[in-house]
Amino acid sequence: MEEFLSKINENFINTDVEFETINIKVDSSQWVETHQKLKDEFDLKFFSWLSAIDWDNEVSIGEAPKESVSPSFEIITCLSNVSNNNLVTVSTTISKLEPKITSLVEIYAGANWHEREAYEMFGINFENHPNLEKLYLPDGYEGNPMLKSFELISREVKPWPGEVDVEGMPEEPESDESVDG
Amino acid sequence: MTDVLVKVGFLALAALNGAVIFTIMDVKGASWMQRRPGPLHVGLRGFIFPLAEILKFVQKEDIIPTEVDRPVFKWAPAYVMVSCVALFAVVPMSPTLVVADLELGVFFVLAISSLGTIGVLTAGWSSANKYSLMGGLRAAGQLIAYELPLILAVVGVVIQAETMSLVGIVEKQIEWGVPFVVGGQVVGFLIFMVAATAEMMRVPFDMPIGESELTMGFMTEYSGIRFLIFYISEYMNMFILCAIASTLFLGGYHVPLLPTEWVNFYGPVVLLTKTVILGFILVAVRWSQPRFREDQLQNLAWKILIPASLINILVTAIMKVGF
Amino acid sequence: MVNTLDPQNFNNFSEASVSVEIETEDMTLNIGPQHPSTHGVLRLVAKVDGEKVYDVKPVLGYMHRGYEKLAEVRSYPQITTLVNRIDWVAGFSNEIPFIAGAERLMEIEVPERAKHIRLILTEMARISSHFVFNGAYALEVGALTPIFYAMEDRERVLDLIESVTGGRFHPNFNRIGGVKPAAGSGPTTKKDIQDLPAGFYRDTKVAMQKVIEAADQFQNLIGGNEVFKKRTKNVGILTAETAEAFGVSGPILRASGVKSDLRTLTDYLPYDQFEYDIPVGENGDCYDRWDVRVKEMVESAKIVLQAIDSMPSGPLQAKVPKVIKVPKGRTYVRAENPKGEMGYYIVSDGGLGPYRLKVRTASFSNISILPLLLEGALLPDLIAIMGSLDFVLGDVDR
Repeated sequence: MEEFLSKINENFINTDVEFETINIKVDSSQWVETHQKLKDEFDLKFFSWLSAIDWDNEVSIGEAPKESVSPSFEIITCLSNVSNNNLVTVSTTISKLEPKITSLVEIYAGANWHEREAYEMFGINFENHPNLEKLYLPDGYEGNPMLKSFELISREVKPWPGEVDVEGMPEEPESDESVDG
Repeated sequence: MTDVLVKVGFLALAALNGAVIFTIMDVKGASWMQRRPGPLHVGLRGFIFPLAEILKFVQKEDIIPTEVDRPVFKWAPAYVMVSCVALFAVVPMSPTLVVADLELGVFFVLAISSLGTIGVLTAGWSSANKYSLMGGLRAAGQLIAYELPLILAVVGVVIQAETMSLVGIVEKQIEWGVPFVVGGQVVGFLIFMVAATAEMMRVPFDMPIGESELTMGFMTEYSGIRFLIFYISEYMNMFILCAIASTLFLGGYHVPLLPTEWVNFYGPVVLLTKTVILGFILVAVRWSQPRFREDQLQNLAWKILIPASLINILVTAIMKVGF
Repeated sequence: MVNTLDPQNFNNFSEASVSVEIETEDMTLNIGPQHPSTHGVLRLVAKVDGEKVYDVKPVLGYMHRGYEKLAEVRSYPQITTLVNRIDWVAGFSNEIPFIAGAERLMEIEVPERAKHIRLILTEMARISSHFVFNGAYALEVGALTPIFYAMEDRERVLDLIESVTGGRFHPNFNRIGGVKPAAGSGPTTKKDIQDLPAGFYRDTKVAMQKVIEAADQFQNLIGGNEVFKKRTKNVGILTAETAEAFGVSGPILRASGVKSDLRTLTDYLPYDQFEYDIPVGENGDCYDRWDVRVKEMVESAKIVLQAIDSMPSGPLQAKVPKVIKVPKGRTYVRAENPKGEMGYYIVSDGGLGPYRLKVRTASFSNISILPLLLEGALLPDLIAIMGSLDFVLGDVDR
C-alpha cells in the first residue's frame, strides 16, 4: 500500500489520503487520460462505481454545508484492483450551469449504466455515451431527483423530527428529551 | 342400446377414477419427497385432495380474454380430453372385460393418442399470448418428435406377438410364459416409457408447460373448468399410457400362479397394480429431475431413441424369423 | 386493365417476374415485471426469433426506493434501519460496511467481542442467502424438489439469527461502536446487558454441521445430476476481463477464475484469525457459478465453527456519545456481501446525518453484463443464466 501510494503521489499532482481512501483530484479536461493511465499503468482494471455530489448552499432537505461552498457538481469514480487492496477515487468538478463531461465507456465498459444513472439523477450530460437515457425513472418524469433543490415531498408534509427516542447507554439513566436536528 | 350405454358409462367412470388415483399418487409422492406434511395428513390422510381440487376449479370464474379466437379456444381442451378417454376403450382387464376388442387395437391406440397434439397446438395458438404461443409450438415439436419412438417401440412387440389386438398380445405373453419385457423387449420397454413420458409432457420433458419460464405455457390463459379439463386429461393420459405399457410389456391382467377361471375377478386388480407401479416410477422421476432444454429434447428423440428403436425392430425381426 | 387472354400481350408478360419475399419479424417478448423467474420485478424486453434471443434490454426501476435521497434526511442510527433492506435476503451484511464507515470517520475502536459477533452473523447471512440461491436456481432449471430442502435447512440458520437479534431478515442489530448492548426497554430490563442467548453455542454447532451435510447433499443430488449438468455447463461463459471491466464482483468473478475475496482485504472484521478456502471456478459458466456458491457455504460454516470456539469476552459496544455527530470527512468502505462487493461512500459534513451517501450495490453491476451474455442464447438458457447471476431487485434498484 505504501509503494502504491508513493507511485500515485509521483504521477499525479493533487492527491490526498483521507480516512484510508486515496483521492485524486483532476481537472475535467484530463478526465479521460487520467483513467486511461490508471487502467494501463497502475493495473486498476476493476470499475467500481461512478457518481456525483451536488454541492450547494441552499438545500431543500437535510442540512446545508457548514462552510459555504461554491455550487458545483463533483463527479467521483472509484477504481480498484481485484487482487490487492489498491483502491483510488478520482474526482473532478464541473459547473452546474453547463454540466457536461466526456464519457468513460470507451475505457471501462461498466461505466455505461452508472453514467445513465448520474444523468437522470443529476442532469449531467455525458458526451460520446452510446445510449444516454433514463435508467430508473419512468418515462415522462420531470426533474432530477438527487439535486439538493429537489424536494422530498414527504418532508414537505411533515418535517424531519430529528433524533427521537434516544436509547440510553446501560449505565446512564435514559433521557426522555428528543433532540432537534 | 343398453350395452352401448353401459360401455360409455364404464368409460367415463374408468377414466375419471384413473385420473383421481394418479392425482392422489402424484401429490402424495410429491409431498413425501419434498417433506411437506400437508397432503399426507390433512383431510382424511390426504385423500380428500382430488375433491378439493375439483371443487376449487369448478367454482372459479371462466375468464376468456377478449382477443382470443373464441371457438378454437373453447374447443381445444375437448380435443385433448377426447384423445385420452377414447384409449380406455381398448385396454383389456381380462379376456372378456374389455369395451371393444379391436383387431387393430394397437393401431387405434397410436392413432388416437396423436390427436392430442392438435388440441395442445390450437390451445397455444388461439390464446392471444406470446408465452402460450411459444408453449404451443414447443409442444408441437416435442409431441410429433416423440410419436415416432413410441410407434417403433410398439412395432417390436407386434412383431413378437404376431397380432395387433391387445387381448391377443396378452394371450401371447401367457403362451410364452414370460412377459415381453423379460422375453426380449427390454430396450423396447425403456424406449416406450421415455417416449410416453414425453407424450404426457411431464418433467423432465415439460418444456411446453415450462412452469418457471412460460408460466404454464399453452395453458396460461385457461381458467376454471377449462383448465380442469386439461389437468384431468393429463392424468388420464398418464394412467392410460401406463396401463398400455403394462399390457404390452408386463403381461396385462395375467399373473402366473393364479387360476384362470377367476380371471374376471383378479384381472382388473392385477392390471391396476402394474399400472400403479409404473406410475410411481414416473412420479419419482418427475419430482427429482430438472427439465431438458428444447434442443436437447429433440436430440434425444431423433438421434438416440429412433435409431435405438429401429435396431430393436431389426433384432426382433431377425429373432422371430430365425428362431 | 390488361386482358391476359389477348395474344398481343404475351410478350409483355415474359419480362414480368413475381418475387415473393416472406418477411419475418422478430417477436418482442416482454419477460415482464411479473414472472416466476426474475427475482423480483425485473423487466427484460427481449427480441426473440423462435427460441433464440437476439437482443435484450433490461428495464429497471420498478423497485427504486430512492435510498440515497432518503439517507440525506436521516441520522446515522436511522440509516442503519434503512440500509438492511437493500439486499433483503442477507439482511445483516448490508449494515456492516456502513457502520464500519461511520466508525472509521469517528475513529472509534470496536471491542473484540462485538467484532466476532458481527462476523458470525455476517457469515450466517451469507449461508442463508446461498441457500435461497440453491433452492431457487434448481427451481428455475426445472427441479421442483430442492427448494423445499433448502428452505428447511435455512430455517435453522434464521432461527439462530432471530434468537440473537430479534429479527430474521432485518435485524437492525448494529450500533455505532459495536452491537446492540441492551434488550428491551422498561424499568427492569433496561439495565440488563443482553448478550448471546443461552444455548447459542450448542445450537450453532448443530446447525453448522447440518449446513455442511446439506451442502454435500446438494453437490450430489443437483451437481451430479446429468440433466442439470447439461443445462448449465458451457452456458453463459463469462471471461475474467469482461467481468472486471463491468465491475462484476463476488461469486461470479470467482467463478470466472479470479481469486479475489474482499474478506481478505478488509480489516474491520477479524477474518485473518480464521482459516478458510476461497473456492474458484474454471470456466465461468453457470455450473461454476453454482458450484462456487455451494462451496462457499461450507467455508462459511467452518468459519462460524471456528469463531464460536474462540469468542473473546468483553463489552459489546464502545463508548459513544448519546447524540452521534460524525466529523467532517469522506471515506469509502467496502465489504463482501453474499452477492458481491457492497460499498458505501460517505461524505460527512459534521452533522447528524451524511451530506451524501452513495450506495454501491453488487447486483447493479452484476446484471449490467446481461445484454452481453444473452446474445444468441436460447430462451431456457436465458432463465438459467439469469438465475445463476443471483441478483435481488432491492440490490439492483436501491
